[in-house]
Amino acid sequence: MIEAVNLTKSFKSGVAVDHINFYIEPGEIVGMLGPNGAGKSTTIAMLSTLIPPTEGDVLLHQKSVLKDQNLLRKVLGVVPQEIALYGDLTAKENLFFFGNLYKIPKKQLNERVEIVLEQIGLENETKKLVKHYSGGMKRRLNIGVALLHEPQYLIMDEPTVGIDPQSRNHILETVKKLNEQSNTAIIYTSHYMEEVEYLCNRIYIMDQGRIIASGSKDEIKAILSSENTVVVKVNNNSNAFMNELFNQPILTNIKADEDKINFTIAKGVNFLPNLLSLCERHNVLLKSFQMEEPTLEDVFLHLTGRALRN
Amino acid sequence: MFLALIQKQIKLLLRSPSELLILLAMPIGLILILSFALGSIMNGDLEITNVEIALVQHGNEEEEIEAFFQKANDTFPIADELRGQIAGMVPVKLLEEQIMENDELKEFVHITKVNEKDIERTRNNGEFSAIIEIPENFTYDFLTYQFLNGEKPSFSVYLNESKQINSTIVQTLINDFQHQYTLNKVLNENGLLLEGMIVPSPEITSTINTIQSKGEITSKIYYTFSMAVMFILFTAGTIASQAFLEKDSHIFDRMILARIRPITYLFSIIISTVIFAMVQMLILFTFSYFAFNITFNQLGLYLLLTFFLAIVVGGIAAVLSSLNYRNNSASASNVFSNAFVSIFALLGGSFFNISSIAPGMAKIGLLTPNGAALDGYLKLTQQASFSDLLPNLTNLSILMIILIVLAFLLFPKRGGIA
Ligand SMILES: Nc1ncnc2c1ncn2[C@@H]1O[C@H](COP(=O)(O)OP(=O)(O)OP(=O)(O)O)[C@@H](O)[C@H]1O
Ligand SMILES: [Mg+2]
Repeated sequence: MIEAVNLTKSFKSGVAVDHINFYIEPGEIVGMLGPNGAGKSTTIAMLSTLIPPTEGDVLLHQKSVLKDQNLLRKVLGVVPQEIALYGDLTAKENLFFFGNLYKIPKKQLNERVEIVLEQIGLENETKKLVKHYSGGMKRRLNIGVALLHEPQYLIMDEPTVGIDPQSRNHILETVKKLNEQSNTAIIYTSHYMEEVEYLCNRIYIMDQGRIIASGSKDEIKAILSSENTVVVKVNNNSNAFMNELFNQPILTNIKADEDKINFTIAKGVNFLPNLLSLCERHNVLLKSFQMEEPTLEDVFLHLTGRALRN
Repeated sequence: MFLALIQKQIKLLLRSPSELLILLAMPIGLILILSFALGSIMNGDLEITNVEIALVQHGNEEEEIEAFFQKANDTFPIADELRGQIAGMVPVKLLEEQIMENDELKEFVHITKVNEKDIERTRNNGEFSAIIEIPENFTYDFLTYQFLNGEKPSFSVYLNESKQINSTIVQTLINDFQHQYTLNKVLNENGLLLEGMIVPSPEITSTINTIQSKGEITSKIYYTFSMAVMFILFTAGTIASQAFLEKDSHIFDRMILARIRPITYLFSIIISTVIFAMVQMLILFTFSYFAFNITFNQLGLYLLLTFFLAIVVGGIAAVLSSLNYRNNSASASNVFSNAFVSIFALLGGSFFNISSIAPGMAKIGLLTPNGAALDGYLKLTQQASFSDLLPNLTNLSILMIILIVLAFLLFPKRGGIA
């Protein structure tokens, strides 16, 4: 198990990570969600021993790794947010280079390179220089390099940023397979809700250097269990109608986008009759009324009052 | 693992055409251009009109020599035969002799003595390629400088810009002349001439003669080595820039995670630079060997000198890498390549033989890696021995130790990732 205890990083510009507590058990996939600048990458850099924390500790099996970083480095693979590859080397040359850094014996490395190339779906593109790869292919190789030494723990920092849906799906499948087949524990960082919802059992939500919510998917969604999100569509919307809607004390988080109105409302309250009479009075036509299950996006909105991405 | 780091570095260099252009194609081009622009002097395959040199001598040479003997008499007695020798060593005579003794030169170089009064007219009528003006007391100062450690005298040379090739020839002549002139001084300082003066012996004269009769440094030779020692410096800048890219792209993070120690990394930079720089030099020298028939007698000494130079360049690459990692930008290596290389090249005599213009600067030049090496290579073309090379090797050794220690001290802990 890797643990972060009160992990904190201050820069001259301010506190990037603020007393974070975090853990990952062998074999699980943990999601780390947060908007730009939340402190995800800084947390990862500390977790992977690349930068020393200002305060707090990182533990591997209850032992601090701040003094003896190699303890953790041996069992850890990191996929950085940036494409950390040599553009002037081919995929194979990159893999062999980093494999050699890990001192993987030659014969074994030959095998590992073949396996990894297959895992990331680049087995037919090995002779091209990496600078001539598409963005998606670079991302995949960026992941592949971190897999060579078969780490027990893999940290992935936004591995699907800026690539086409096909490559993205491929990466999501790769991650899932890796976890299922090799039992690799994975910390998956993203600001895409769908990815984290799809892959992870446990989720941490970060904002402004702090973890603002954590737990299983259901636990996190239960934060909103006392509320429902309602989406209403109308015709002939008017200011008078909206004003009256805003004055309804039982509605919260009201947002209107032309004829589409969102709000949250306590569970068990039946607002439909009130809405209908309201519409009638203002001569507004109600086209649809829909109660929605909360998403992680809603949770984030609820917790911070801001959307995750803009 | 270490081998992988080296292999990677060499591969990256070999795959960047723009770098290769600067590191290999450019020096070859410059060697060709500079050698042919100036090389025709040696070959005579360019039609050269006569080179007319006007010599204006102020003061009376005889009187000045006599004045010197008077002064010298206070310090040591001068035997008659030595008087004769010294009288033969006066600079104007030396210069004349140098031109007249050279078979290739005497055909088309003529020296005309011009009266002091006619100097203005001579300057204006443009028929001379150069005017050499020897000031009053020059001979006296020269002898005092040579034997009694006086002030170094100087004379003026006016080159006629419109006769470019001719004036280049004159410049070369003057450079050669001043080179010998300094050589005499050096011999004197080393006690060689002093000894000879008290007990004059023909052996001393012959020592001087041997040195003078050694092979000429043609512009082909000069520019082969001067360009080589200049462009080897760019290798340091290039490799340090590439090293910074490794930090910038987070490849260095991956190395740290793979438990590569920063010391190992820095060491790999030094070794790959040494290897590449050696190869670079070998390519340039091989080129000159085939293109110009420049011979490399005592190949071992050439290789030794090149090896020392390459290690110094490795040290520079390491220091620049450390600074780049420290500043989190490639500014150090950029400034080095864009400014420092030119300054070093100037001081080290890569553009022209600086000792002819500013001897003080030339001394500083010997402290630059390229200057120390260039001087060494030129000595080797004159059949110098290992011991002649020692001062150069010493300078390079001091430089490499300072640079390498500095690099390891400057490299930030954890590479300065933050
Ligand atoms: N080296 C540094 N010096 C100063 N401030 C830094 C440094 N690194 C990060 N920060 C600041 O710390 C905060 C967190 O940055 P971090 O990169 O960890 O965010 P992130 O969650 O990974 O964001 P993104 O989704 O954009 O990658 C930001 O405000 C950033 O400006
Ligand atoms: Mg980040």
